[in-house]
Amino acid sequence: MHRWKRTFGWWVVLALFATLLAACGGAGGGGGASSEPIKVGAIFDLTGATADVGTPYSRGQIAFIEWKNEQGGIKGRRLQLISEDYAYQVPRAEELYTKFVTQDKVLVFSGWGTGDTEALRPKITEDKIPFISASYSATLANPAETPYNFLVAPTYSDQLIIAMKWAIDDWKAKGNSGLPKFAYLINDSPFGRSPLADGTAFANSQGIATPLEVPSPRGATDLTPQLTQIRDYGANYIFLQNVSSPAALAIKNAKSLGYNVQFVCLNWCANEILIKQAGADAEGVVGVVPFNYEAEGAKVALEYARKKNIDYGGADSTFVQGWTAMSILIAGIEKVVNDGKELTGENIKNALETMGEIDTKGVTLPVKFSPTDHAGVKSTRMFRVENGKWVAITDFISAR
Amino acid sequence: MQSGTFHTTYASDVSLRPYWPQRIRIVVVLVAALIFPWFADRYWLNLANTIAIAAIGAIGLNILVGYTGQISIGHGGFLAVGAYTAGLLAVHLGTPMWLTIPIASFFTAAVGAFFGLPSLRLKGLYLAIATLASQEIIIWLLTHGKLLGIGESLSLPRATNNLFGLPIEWLGNNDFAFYWICLVFLIFTVIFVSNLFRTRTGRAFVAIRDQDIAAQVIGVDLFRYKLLAFATSSFFAGLAGALTAHYRGVISWERFTIDTSILYLAMIIIGGLGSVSGSIYGAAFMVLLPAFLSNIARALSGIVPDINSYLPYLQQGAFGLAIILFLIFEPEGIVKMWRNVKDYFRLWPFSY
Repeated sequence: MHRWKRTFGWWVVLALFATLLAACGGAGGGGGASSEPIKVGAIFDLTGATADVGTPYSRGQIAFIEWKNEQGGIKGRRLQLISEDYAYQVPRAEELYTKFVTQDKVLVFSGWGTGDTEALRPKITEDKIPFISASYSATLANPAETPYNFLVAPTYSDQLIIAMKWAIDDWKAKGNSGLPKFAYLINDSPFGRSPLADGTAFANSQGIATPLEVPSPRGATDLTPQLTQIRDYGANYIFLQNVSSPAALAIKNAKSLGYNVQFVCLNWCANEILIKQAGADAEGVVGVVPFNYEAEGAKVALEYARKKNIDYGGADSTFVQGWTAMSILIAGIEKVVNDGKELTGENIKNALETMGEIDTKGVTLPVKFSPTDHAGVKSTRMFRVENGKWVAITDFISAR
Repeated sequence: MQSGTFHTTYASDVSLRPYWPQRIRIVVVLVAALIFPWFADRYWLNLANTIAIAAIGAIGLNILVGYTGQISIGHGGFLAVGAYTAGLLAVHLGTPMWLTIPIASFFTAAVGAFFGLPSLRLKGLYLAIATLASQEIIIWLLTHGKLLGIGESLSLPRATNNLFGLPIEWLGNNDFAFYWICLVFLIFTVIFVSNLFRTRTGRAFVAIRDQDIAAQVIGVDLFRYKLLAFATSSFFAGLAGALTAHYRGVISWERFTIDTSILYLAMIIIGGLGSVSGSIYGAAFMVLLPAFLSNIARALSGIVPDINSYLPYLQQGAFGLAIILFLIFEPEGIVKMWRNVKDYFRLWPFSY
């Protein structure tokens, strides 16, 4: 035992030396001759609280970079994706962001969660790194405050308002009188709460009582208490701002509780994982699916995945979403290269703001940024689960 | 301790660092700390600042857990109190950081003393659960920030990052400037806490840890000193929290969950309970371990192609493995290992 103790000490000392060596090796990079690859940074959630949708999203992003390189890159220059898992932890996101930006000198960055994107806000602005996050928090859409954040889907606030508009129409179409009662069942995080203030303001303006807000605890295995609370409140529509797994749990719990309520999913639970996990109980669930996986533009992505045998857990729409988000970021770079300008964060930002509509071939409406508005898409369609598939049930609805 | 040293005055007997190798070491460490930022890039400065802030928080926790023997798993909550106090003052009143940091520290000390009240009646695991409750209460208040008029996340105006009216930008970029600020606060913390345990109060803390009934018998006022331990510990948690708020610019409660409390406990256990330098080693270890793993994975990715896809799982496993290995082979932490290394060389070649 004593021997072991001593050798353990030496091992730790050795390991610390190795850290220093590895670190110095890593620090040597940088530079930017024109033949060098164009570096793109990304953080993914592969093991954290939102890993169920984080994984297919990351597969889509990686696949797009590979596909683009197979197409010849950007004017012969390869793209290099530098990415790592951050387990949905804000401090880890900060560390990786700083590392990729200062050591690897990435030009653009693809982020993930609401909490970490918000936390990185001051740094992004200071470093001038065009940043597309999978968070569509409305606070990121105003370039006066966050000049380098771009949103490629309707903001969470817009999504919630669109979902509410549908719900009110649905309530009337079913021949009910009066007004429906709403409730929120949300992820217990800044992501979950992001749209609530705007949604409540809209509901109140329609004469609907302030919706009941119920957070679902992280890692919960039973949401019956939360659903009982909502049932006692008497909600007719529950808006789910959560990722797929807890949303599927809520839908199943409601079924076994015998609580007949209309669930409405926002972006991050309206996908195939929800159907897979909730099974037959998912039938009739309505969702905001901002990225249409049946569109022309999605075929390239899905066919590439099939050809390369990429496993994304069957979450077509989330895979396409990752692919599309990355494609828009790269479109900005491509524009700068084609214009023969120097590749800098500022030029890419200006290119994205001034290049007009970016066509995603039907996956979303054409994405258009402007110097005063970084919410690229304003309207989306509602889908419903019918026979195990998301089927569009409305035309494009706008929040305004 | 070294042999051949004979104290001839009381002053030398009670001095903090009586031996010349210790003094030389302090000078070497200080010089290294002064030189480091001029050579490090922002990534390393960021890591250094994270370590310094974590070390301040860990030293605070060590006062409570390592020196006074009161288990707390509410440290994350106290960090949050410090961060949000500084944040709210900066956002609503535009108070500069040289005022918000002390105010936040003292306020957190008061909150910590309040949540330390159960410690009078509860010991061991029961106290741990009581502190867990304080953690949850604080986080609940923050997630329901509307009730208190605080938002969920706060974005601190850059202008409040000034020292006595001078904006810190003149020091250099944010990471570089905060390196000096964090370093000064860390040195202050180290000096204060090292000396604390040579005073009447500090010795009372240690007496409570070793046997609280015996301490009471010899005249230590348990109520007073336990609360004082909670307050002192929370003071440094508040300091670390306030520094986090000003350094990061944006804070949300996600940073201060129960995971954070456990991470801080892991830091002081790995570093060494009841040791100031151990807290710093533990903080450095826990911050550098993930960075170390990802650097190694990057270096190995040429040899082992798919290592990046295993990395997340390796990282999760490595944390657990590190704690288990330390508990088995060196329960007294890194500080003891460092002592072993010193002893090895001191006795070499005639070790017994």
